[in-house]
Amino acid sequence: MTKVIEAVGLTKWYGKRRGILEVDFHVVEGEVFGFLGPNGAGKTTTIRLLLGLLQPTSGSSNLFGIDSWTHASEAHRKVSYLGSDPGYLGDLSAGAQLDYLATLRGLQKGSWRPIAERLELDPSVAVKKLSRGNRQKIGVVQAFMGHEPLVILDEPTSGLDPLMQRIFLALLAEARAGGRTIFLSSHNLPEVERSCDRVGIIREGRLIEISTVQALLSEHWRSVNLVLGEMPPPGTFDIPGVEVASASARDVHLMVQGDVNPLLGVLAGLVVRDISITTPEVEDIFLRYYDGSQGAPFGAHLGGSTSERPEPTATAGAKPTARAGAEPATETELTAEAPDRVPEEAVR
Amino acid sequence: MTLATFRLELRRDRMLTFWLGVIAFAYAGTMAAFFPLMKDNLSLIDEYMEILPREFLVAFGMTGSLADPGVFFTTYVGSYVWPIVAALAGILLATRPVAADSDRGFLDLPLSTPMSRTRYLSVSIVGQVLVMVVLAVAMMIGVVVVGALVDAGLDGGRMLLVTPSAVVFGCAIAGIATLLSVVTLSRGIAGGLTAGIVIGMYLLNVVAQLQTDLEWVAQLSLFHYFDTTAIIDDGAMPWADIAVHAIVAAVTWALALVLFRRRDLAA
Repeated sequence: MTKVIEAVGLTKWYGKRRGILEVDFHVVEGEVFGFLGPNGAGKTTTIRLLLGLLQPTSGSSNLFGIDSWTHASEAHRKVSYLGSDPGYLGDLSAGAQLDYLATLRGLQKGSWRPIAERLELDPSVAVKKLSRGNRQKIGVVQAFMGHEPLVILDEPTSGLDPLMQRIFLALLAEARAGGRTIFLSSHNLPEVERSCDRVGIIREGRLIEISTVQALLSEHWRSVNLVLGEMPPPGTFDIPGVEVASASARDVHLMVQGDVNPLLGVLAGLVVRDISITTPEVEDIFLRYYDGSQGAPFGAHLGGSTSERPEPTATAGAKPTARAGAEPATETELTAEAPDRVPEEAVR
Repeated sequence: MTLATFRLELRRDRMLTFWLGVIAFAYAGTMAAFFPLMKDNLSLIDEYMEILPREFLVAFGMTGSLADPGVFFTTYVGSYVWPIVAALAGILLATRPVAADSDRGFLDLPLSTPMSRTRYLSVSIVGQVLVMVVLAVAMMIGVVVVGALVDAGLDGGRMLLVTPSAVVFGCAIAGIATLLSVVTLSRGIAGGLTAGIVIGMYLLNVVAQLQTDLEWVAQLSLFHYFDTTAIIDDGAMPWADIAVHAIVAAVTWALALVLFRRRDLAA
């Protein structure tokens, strides 16, 4: 498969301030790649490096084999980009600006109209009179109005209402069906879960994980939510393969790996008002990575080694060293608690 | 691609150009209308000017009789309204395509297309030149037309000779503003620095005329090479002065283009 995006040791320092560090990944043709991370993690820096708007401090990135920095405008012939907060000119209408951008991209004027109609965007209104959501629609129209083989989207649905998000997902699906490659930076986890083949997670400038969404939603994990009749004695859930994700008085959220029977055995001795056992939401998984005090997969929190977790799908495009940037979780990190939670010791 | 960007540039320039053009035309025309009054009351004016300190007269270019067309023009237009109009236009136009558009997030839009940075900034530079031409012509037409209407006795041909000098003077300011805009990526800082440089050069030129031992510092000032009195009174094009302004403009714009190609454009 052709590598559409390739980043090798991509590093950016803004003076002494960290941008991103040693980021390695690639995205293959036709793939939808999600890029996730909290604010300040380095998502936008990575995208700006890919687009040649920033010069790497070290390492390199290329699009379709073309160096992003030294031959940026050449690479842009094959790219459609939507930034997180595009600054459209307030005095001009949406249509005028879309025509301008279409011309720059070698498209016909008005080529944006079909998508604008789907998104119910009035192109005649001056941008300064549009709401944030409507401005975001301009961006979505701009991103999908052409046929460039690579679409780079940075927080494309922020500000869009649920209906428009649905249309956005449909556009994304159409682009994917048309063989276009998509790089999607997002906070919207269901959106990523629905649309992406693979996901890269960046934290504090380092790409700490590349995996398929399915792998992240590993079938070995269960999320168990309990409402107990009374507060359990300390150490109740000190069971191998069970982790207390959160506990507040009688509400307990557990993460269970593997066999649930030992837990059910313990629960038999408790007054359980309610129980739900589900596959963890993708958000739960990502929050583990985002949370700087933890930053390790569930296995690590249970005292197990992170190597117990299936290695990222290197064969699907990630480099085998994709996790090399992730710092090993320390003992402190493994036992750290959020301050607004009941200490686990009170429950275990 | 270039044409589309140029059209957008002109579209964005038009209101500023229109209003500055109106100001330049109206002010220059008003001054031309006053010229006959000045000539008719020369003795009174000279008497009045004698009570003013020399520093004040030098600061405003009044280095001769106000009945002299060259001195009159330089006093009220060449060293007053044109530097202000040129600086305003230069700063506002030159700091927009990189610094201001970067601030508002617009810059990413054209620069994430096949449009190269060099081409993008070059289009803006062409726009700056064009606006300077329009403004200088508006100013000189104001002088010539109104001067003719009130029978001021101004030589229209010689007045129009000022236009190229005025254009390159404005371009030099715009070049400095463009360079500072690329270096700082901040419209406020670039505009403030450019305004400071223009004011500083004006003061250098004044000081050089007041202190003979500091005469050489005038050469550091763009105003030293913008002597409209000589153009109007002698009717000769000051090619050397025009070349100095043109070189300053060309060098600063070239540096801006080179730096912009290699400039980080942070979000």
